[in-house]
Amino acid sequence: MPKKIVKGQELSQPARASARVLKRLYVREIPDEEKPAEALKWLDYYRKDRRSLVMAMESCVKCGVCANECHAYLGTKDPNNIPAGRADLMRKVYKRYFTVQGRLFGNLVGAEDITMDTLEKWFSYYYQCTECRRCGHVCPFGIDTCEVTMAGREILWGIGMIPDLQGAASAAVYERGNQGNMTKQALIETHDFLSDEIEEERGFRMEFPVDKPNSDILYVPSSADYLLNPETLKGACQFFEYVGANWTISSHMTEAGNFGLLTEQHSVQRELVERLWRTVAELGIKKIVFGECGHGWRAWKMYTPTLTDYAIAGSGYDYHNRVPIVHIHDEVAAYVKMGKLKLNPRDNRLAPVGKSITLHDPCNYCRACNLIQNLRVNLYASVPEVREMTPNGEKNFCCGGGSAVLYDDPEMYELRGKFSLKKVEQIKATGADILCAPCSICKAQFYGVLKEYHHLDIPIQGLIDFVGAALVFKGHRQI
Amino acid sequence: MAMINIGGKQVEVDEDGFIQDPEIWDEELAKGIAPLEEVNELTEDHWKVVRYIREYYLRTGVAPMIRMLCKNSGFTLKQIYELFPTGPAKGACKIAGLPKPTGCV
Repeated sequence: MPKKIVKGQELSQPARASARVLKRLYVREIPDEEKPAEALKWLDYYRKDRRSLVMAMESCVKCGVCANECHAYLGTKDPNNIPAGRADLMRKVYKRYFTVQGRLFGNLVGAEDITMDTLEKWFSYYYQCTECRRCGHVCPFGIDTCEVTMAGREILWGIGMIPDLQGAASAAVYERGNQGNMTKQALIETHDFLSDEIEEERGFRMEFPVDKPNSDILYVPSSADYLLNPETLKGACQFFEYVGANWTISSHMTEAGNFGLLTEQHSVQRELVERLWRTVAELGIKKIVFGECGHGWRAWKMYTPTLTDYAIAGSGYDYHNRVPIVHIHDEVAAYVKMGKLKLNPRDNRLAPVGKSITLHDPCNYCRACNLIQNLRVNLYASVPEVREMTPNGEKNFCCGGGSAVLYDDPEMYELRGKFSLKKVEQIKATGADILCAPCSICKAQFYGVLKEYHHLDIPIQGLIDFVGAALVFKGHRQI
Repeated sequence: MAMINIGGKQVEVDEDGFIQDPEIWDEELAKGIAPLEEVNELTEDHWKVVRYIREYYLRTGVAPMIRMLCKNSGFTLKQIYELFPTGPAKGACKIAGLPKPTGCV
């Protein structure tokens, strides 16, 4: 990607989706000269649609509290990466067109016309925010800059400025129901391979059911698990088999993540919600359990009710009230608290005695979904020694790849390294031997960046991986 | 979208150099892509990995799980990185003519 230079400043931008990808996304390509006007229309739409955005646009007093809380700013020292500064890129335009003082006095009050340069800057900086919401957590006004980033990305999506990574993943969602382009055949072959591994380790076989009719539980793994995280799939399988669940995985909807939340909520996010309910109706599901994915869990827990505003298979509009949506760690923690899972932390294949584990709190679990306690219930029950990071819980730092800023073009990769500086400091300070990251984006970020950029060679596992490996089976099916 | 010249053929590739039409792949093309991924010569070991990925792709439509690739091709992850310095997902898949893996990878 050739560097864009705006007013003498070099901008780092992710590679853009090609015309071929835009076509698969049903996005119209707009010529450059029409883009500013079209973007303004979208901004007008989002300000009327979202009060959180208007709140962010109207209330900031530039007190600067957010600056030292943002890992992106701490890593890059770029003033546009201060959350208030990043929101200001949009605020200037908002002021110019939608406030009286901006319309009358223009740049005297800090307002700015929207031009192609503005949009290039947006494309650079709204894809340098990882939507971790640490700034929103400390802001005295409660301004959530993540909402500004989301709106910024959606406006850019509307005018055809889409990063290749998000574009290709979303196109795969439309075509195959998951971001990794997985097919049913791929699911089956991968499951077979993992069942063989479990058989080698445990001495008996466990199967991963696919599209099994009349199942009680639908398990929705992250599609990235099928490429990178075998232990996460095995951990979930062993848990379900242990509790004797009648469970299945669907080939129609195999995605716990939802990039739609982060970049385009109108059609991409909705597509997966629609697929989810269709699957539930077809397979007669009673409960949906989501796998390890941070932003995905926020999308499913918080946004599904409002996105389920249509009837499916004659079930009426309140489908989401009758089929509960839970996270696998809430589910496991409930069993652990009841004392129904026999876990032996001193006999864990993935965390041998003498090794210590540190937990990376995925941002969306902790600042959006209240999973802090339950993650710890499960971790402390499954591994021999835990070393907590400081700060942790809702004050944790992002892995640096949040909201799928997982670009591998050299400039953006460099930025991913800088974004994770704070996290690496934390990991090193614990002195732990193994890193537990219960989120697919965090895992993908750590697999690459820790070793290649920070030269920190540390094994990375999900959390359900440890639970699965610590389960004590006496035979098949325990409860 | 760019066209590059690989082994005397004009081929359409994306921003990251993955070929856009997996159908046109053949062994000659693989030999042409290899130097772009820091692989100077495709040895029998390279071919073993590339053929496995290619066959898996034709059967299932995606790249295999990394652990599956290691086990079934008989190499450790370290050896695969030695064969393909840019890694299995980027280097090996590109040489095998697969589209770029998408999602959280």
